[in-house]
Formats: sequence, C-alpha cells, structure tokens
Amino acid sequence: MRGTHVTVGMSGGVDSSLTAALLVEQGYQVTGVYLRNWSRDLPGFKCPWAEDLADAERVAVRLGIGFEVWDCEEAYRQEVVDYLVDSYRQGLTPNPDVMCNEKIKFGTFARLAEEHGADLIATGHYARTRRGRLLRSADAHKDQTYFLWRVPGTVLARTLFPIGDISSKTEVREMAAARGLEVASKPDSQGICFVGEVGLRPFLLEEIERKPGDIVEWGTGRVLGRHQGAFLYTVGQRKGLDLGGGPARYVVRTDTEANIVTVTDDLSCPDLWTSRVCCHDARWVGGAAPADGRYLARTRHTGQLREVEAVFAPEGGTFSISYPEPVRTVAPGQSVVLYEGEECLGGGVADRF
Amino acid sequence: MTESNAHVTDSAGIYLDYAAATPVDPEVVAAMLPYLTDDFYNPSAPYAKARRVKADLERARATLAHLIGAQPANVVLTAGATEANNLAFSAVSGEVAVSAIEHASVLACAQAHPSCLTIPVKRDGGVEPAAVASSITPQTELVSIALANGEVGTIQPIRKIAQVVRAERARRLEAGEQRPLWLHTDASQAAGCLSVSVSSLGADLITLSAAKLYGPKQVGLLWAADGVRLKPLVRGGGQEGGVRSGTENVAGVVGFARALELAADRRSSEAARLKGLRNRLQQLLTSRFEDAVVFGPSKDRQRLPGLLALSFPGLDARRLVILLEQQGVSVGTGSACAASKMQASPALLALGATPEQAAGSLRITLGRPTTGEEVDAAARAIIRAVEQERERVSGRGGSD
Repeated sequence: MRGTHVTVGMSGGVDSSLTAALLVEQGYQVTGVYLRNWSRDLPGFKCPWAEDLADAERVAVRLGIGFEVWDCEEAYRQEVVDYLVDSYRQGLTPNPDVMCNEKIKFGTFARLAEEHGADLIATGHYARTRRGRLLRSADAHKDQTYFLWRVPGTVLARTLFPIGDISSKTEVREMAAARGLEVASKPDSQGICFVGEVGLRPFLLEEIERKPGDIVEWGTGRVLGRHQGAFLYTVGQRKGLDLGGGPARYVVRTDTEANIVTVTDDLSCPDLWTSRVCCHDARWVGGAAPADGRYLARTRHTGQLREVEAVFAPEGGTFSISYPEPVRTVAPGQSVVLYEGEECLGGGVADRF
Repeated sequence: MTESNAHVTDSAGIYLDYAAATPVDPEVVAAMLPYLTDDFYNPSAPYAKARRVKADLERARATLAHLIGAQPANVVLTAGATEANNLAFSAVSGEVAVSAIEHASVLACAQAHPSCLTIPVKRDGGVEPAAVASSITPQTELVSIALANGEVGTIQPIRKIAQVVRAERARRLEAGEQRPLWLHTDASQAAGCLSVSVSSLGADLITLSAAKLYGPKQVGLLWAADGVRLKPLVRGGGQEGGVRSGTENVAGVVGFARALELAADRRSSEAARLKGLRNRLQQLLTSRFEDAVVFGPSKDRQRLPGLLALSFPGLDARRLVILLEQQGVSVGTGSACAASKMQASPALLALGATPEQAAGSLRITLGRPTTGEEVDAAARAIIRAVEQERERVSGRGGSD
C-alpha cells in the first residue's frame, strides 16, 4: 500500500472524513478532493458548499494530506440536474443520486483522479467491493448500493469503500471522534444534496413552468381538487396532495400530457399494485446481464429486498421481474436494482405502464 | 499522522487577527449598558426620559466629532464602516477613482458607478499623489483611498493626495466647470494607531468604525464636509438629518464615543508598543525563514504598527491557518472578506505579488491585549506549522 496513491472524494461529512483518515492509517498516499458540484442557493435553502468545503479542508490538514477543489459544476448541471428536470417534465420519477454516482463521482471524478496520477479512488459510500464486484455494506440500514448500480465494475475495481466494512453509523461517528475529527457529530445531509431539506418541489417549480390541472378520483372521474402541474407528483405518493382533509389518498397515475393526476383512497385499487415490472436502460456491474432466474430486487434506497423471477431480453438493455405476490407499483423512472445474496448485480429503470 | 496536536498548551488561545475584529473594551461595555436596559427610550420620543437619551446621543456625537476635529452636524452615524463607505459613494453619480487595494465595500461601490478608474499602487502598497493626479480625469467626481490599508498596512499620504484633489478643484473653478470632486478616506483600520483629524487629512469624507477600536460592531460614522450632499440609502423616519433613517443605536454610539476616547488617549503609546511587538514577530519569522516575503512599506512610519503581512511562497496559507488554529493561534489570510471567498487576495496581486506569494500569505495583526509572550509563542507555532507544511509539500511526489 505504501506508495499507492489514493484520491478521496471529501464532502466535509463524517463518512468521507473517516474514509480519508482510515486510508492514511493504512499507509496509502492520500489526496483529498472536494468536488464542487453545485453552489447555488435556492429559496429557503442556503447551499452549504463553502462550509462543507471548509470542513473537508480542515480534516485534510489535520490528517496532513494534500487537498484540492475540483470544479464539476458544469458536468453536474448537465448530467444530474438537467436529467432530473427533464425526467420530471416527462412525468418520470428519476434517481439523481444514481446519475451523480455514475456520471460525476465514478465518472468525471474517477477520470480526473486517474489523470492526476491516482492509482485508486475512494469515497465514503456504504458499500463494499471485491475485485470489481459490488457488495452490500456491513451496515444494512445504511447500504448505498441502490445508488451505485450503474457504476461499472472496471471503475469499482480501483475504488475503495473503507466505510462499507463498518457495522454502524454510530461506530463511524465514534471512530471519527476518536481521531479528533471535528465533523464526528455533524448531522447527516438530507435528501438530494442541492435542494437540501427544502425538498424538490420548490426547485422543480423554479425550473418547470407551473401548469394547473385537475386531481381526479380513480374510478369515478370526480374532480377532487387542483394541482400545480402533474410533473410534481409520483405514483404511490400520499403526502402533499392538499385536498383539504378527508381520507388519505394515494396517487395512482400522473399524466403529464393531459396534465391529470389520478388519486384514490382505496388501497386495494388495482393500479396501486403490480406483480411485474419491466425495465429499460439496464446496466450490469460485471458488464453482461445475468442469466434468467431468481434474484433479490429492490426498488428504493434501503427498501425491502424481495425475491423475484427475472427474465433478461437476449439483445440486452431490457428485462422484467415478476413478484410472487403483488407489490406497490414502481414509479416510472425509478431504479430497479437486482441482487444475488450480498452482491449488487446492476439493474434498470422502471418503464411506464 | 502528524504531530500537530503535540503543542497545544504552549500557545492556547492566542488571537492575532485584530484587524478583523476587536473585543469590546470593558469600559466601553460599561458605557453602553445603561442604554440597553434603563435608558432604552427612543430618542425621538417626546417625554423627558427619551429627551435625556437624545441628549446623551448628541453628546456622544459631539465627542466623536470633537475627537476628529469636526462639527457634530457633519457626522452621520451609520451601522458600520461598510454602510459609511456606501453613503460616501452616494454623494456622486459619475466617475470615481479608487486604488486597486481598497476594501471590498469601497471596490463594490466604485464598480457600481458608471465609470471606475483604478489608481495604481506601488509594490509596497503606497499610492503616490502623482499617480492620483495622472489617474483622475475632468469627469472624476470622487477619489477614495483608505488612510491605512487593512491587508498590507500601508499608510497613505492622504494629506498630499488631498492637495492633488484641491488643485483639480481649483482648475475646474477657474475653467468654470461645475462638476464636483471629493476625496473620501476610510480611516477604520488607522484610527486605533493614527490620529484622525479632519483638518490635517484634508479629505472631504471620512469613514470610521467602532468595531476596529474595541467598540461594538455595526457602529460607524461618515464625516462629510460642508457642501457634500449625501443621498440617503436607508429611508424612513428621517433620523440623521434624513440621510440615515432608523432609530438611533444609542448604546452603540455611546460605546463608539467611549472607544474613540480611549483610542485617542492610548494611541501614541499603543502604536509604539505594537510596532515593537510586530517588529519582533517579523524578526523571529524572517530570520528563521529567509525566503518569507514581507508585504508593505519598509519604513515603520508608513506602516500600520500592529500589522504583519507575510508570505511563505509555495505553501497554502489556508492550511497554515488551520494548523495554527489547532495550536490555538488565530490569524488571518488577506482580509477576512476576501478569505471567505477562497480566492487569492486581489489586493496582494494588485501590488505585484505572484499568485504563489498571494496564496501563501498570512495577515497577522496585533492588538491591545497582545503581549510579548503571546508574540513569542505565536512565532513558535507559526514556525512549527510552516515546517510541517514544507515537509509535507517536499515529501509529495518524491520517493515514497
């Protein structure tokens, strides 16, 4: 390890700070890099990039490692933000963290690190790698492989995830505190990084023109209320419908063309449930699709792993999974990620239905 | 791992960034306190208690005016030096001229005007009166140069610059040109160590700040000569002659007056003491590191006594600040405002520093509480930090 150069992505948080500290202890030649992806303030949310950067730099100096700031704002804007906005505009529910990992952290960052002479890269993700394969983290509650399914094994082969072997976040914080890292008690970041705790809705309303339309009851067609744009809603969503009381209602369907949001208060509504999900835009960590058969699937971050029967199209790119029992409908655009035991194999993007 | 934690006790809690902020003097606090509690009344209110507060406010204004040799009517109280500088620039709407090393509040105001001329500075940060003469044009309406620069400590020849400005004014008068021309100087950084007198400076507008004088933050003043017409930036109830509305900050102004009194009392002895300490610190550091670059004038009388701006080329000053902080020593890089934006100090670049020198530069400023022991301990801490960083930099990319 001595003489092996590792470039660590440092966000100023406890996970990536401890990552850098552990690698220094293991004898690597470590350089910390803060990726400046986004620095814009939004209404009600002051982007904390400058504070995060200062925290990251403070840790780097304490560890006695080099520290640099790489500007990725242009790439982030194109690959993550534009993708996010375009997807919502089309009535999809994208996973911006998946794109950020594929395109920025394990794309631009990995490439720049290599150009700067790094042998390996490292991040503070909760995941593990073994010879280019992706495994779930020791801490099942924090496992972030759901966001890493599009990262190719060739990149993972030269990636270190030291935090992935630690059994809990509490232990991560304790280890950081034991090393005198001031970020040990820094709160976890919430939600999509650039909109913070304010949430996506105000951001989307800045980016996409409001388009008021009807909220309609499933089955009866009765108009229950108005919305600001069908693109703001996601299948299965319960909160934020603003229908002025009444029973809890769920979004059954969003139609951005007709600008109609269909809801129901009946949880047994068949459109809320499905036994089969078709996926496109598949990516496999190992490069090729696995063989048809029984796998575990997850359709949300740290969501339940369910047994499915997967069938892969011979020409690649698409596949379908079947559940033994109906599950709640997967919103179009969401990631469907397949596992075999501990290993994350890759996945695809849920089709429209 | 490094040994950065090994020496914490030696220099715990040494603050050397008095150009950024000063602790409020206990005497100033004592003067202010009654106006926060018992005498909280609105000075504009009609009853006797409020009128007494109004009288105290005016007494404080008179004290401030007296201490700078001015009439109270020419003093506008503001919420700090930045506002005072903004107000000074409100006096004109045409072309302005500033040196390239002015504080952000001056540069930003200048750039908001339709034309902004940059007056060149010498390598030591000095502004030559002749450079002012050749920079300004018949259209120039305001020249603004700080009495003492906050980043490198250069004391400017404001009196001689005022003569240049007066000569241009005389020319315009002869030529029948109506366009006004004023000289503004921000004396915030200077007032602790230099006497600020309206008549001896010869400027038309002068900014002062309580925050740099062991007084409260967000309290300052703009003195404006007769004939200068200030345009209000904050409108409302018409306080401060309509130039600056808002209920007067009575406690702040009373504290400001007391702070300026104390500064005036202690000025000459304090300046000599700080100069001695600063020179000792400079000697300790430059003798250890012969390649360290000291910014600012070489002559002590052209230099703010408590300020040492020096660079360790090849090092990153922000890293040094963090290492020093871990040893309990607080110092600045460039001005605090520039540092927060994480860019090389434009002022240092403007006076000819290389980007490498600018990136490696610390601003160390001593103040009233600074002792010789603190200076010695700080010097030791700085030497350790610089050596540690040099070791890291030289180890990088070499044989592992």
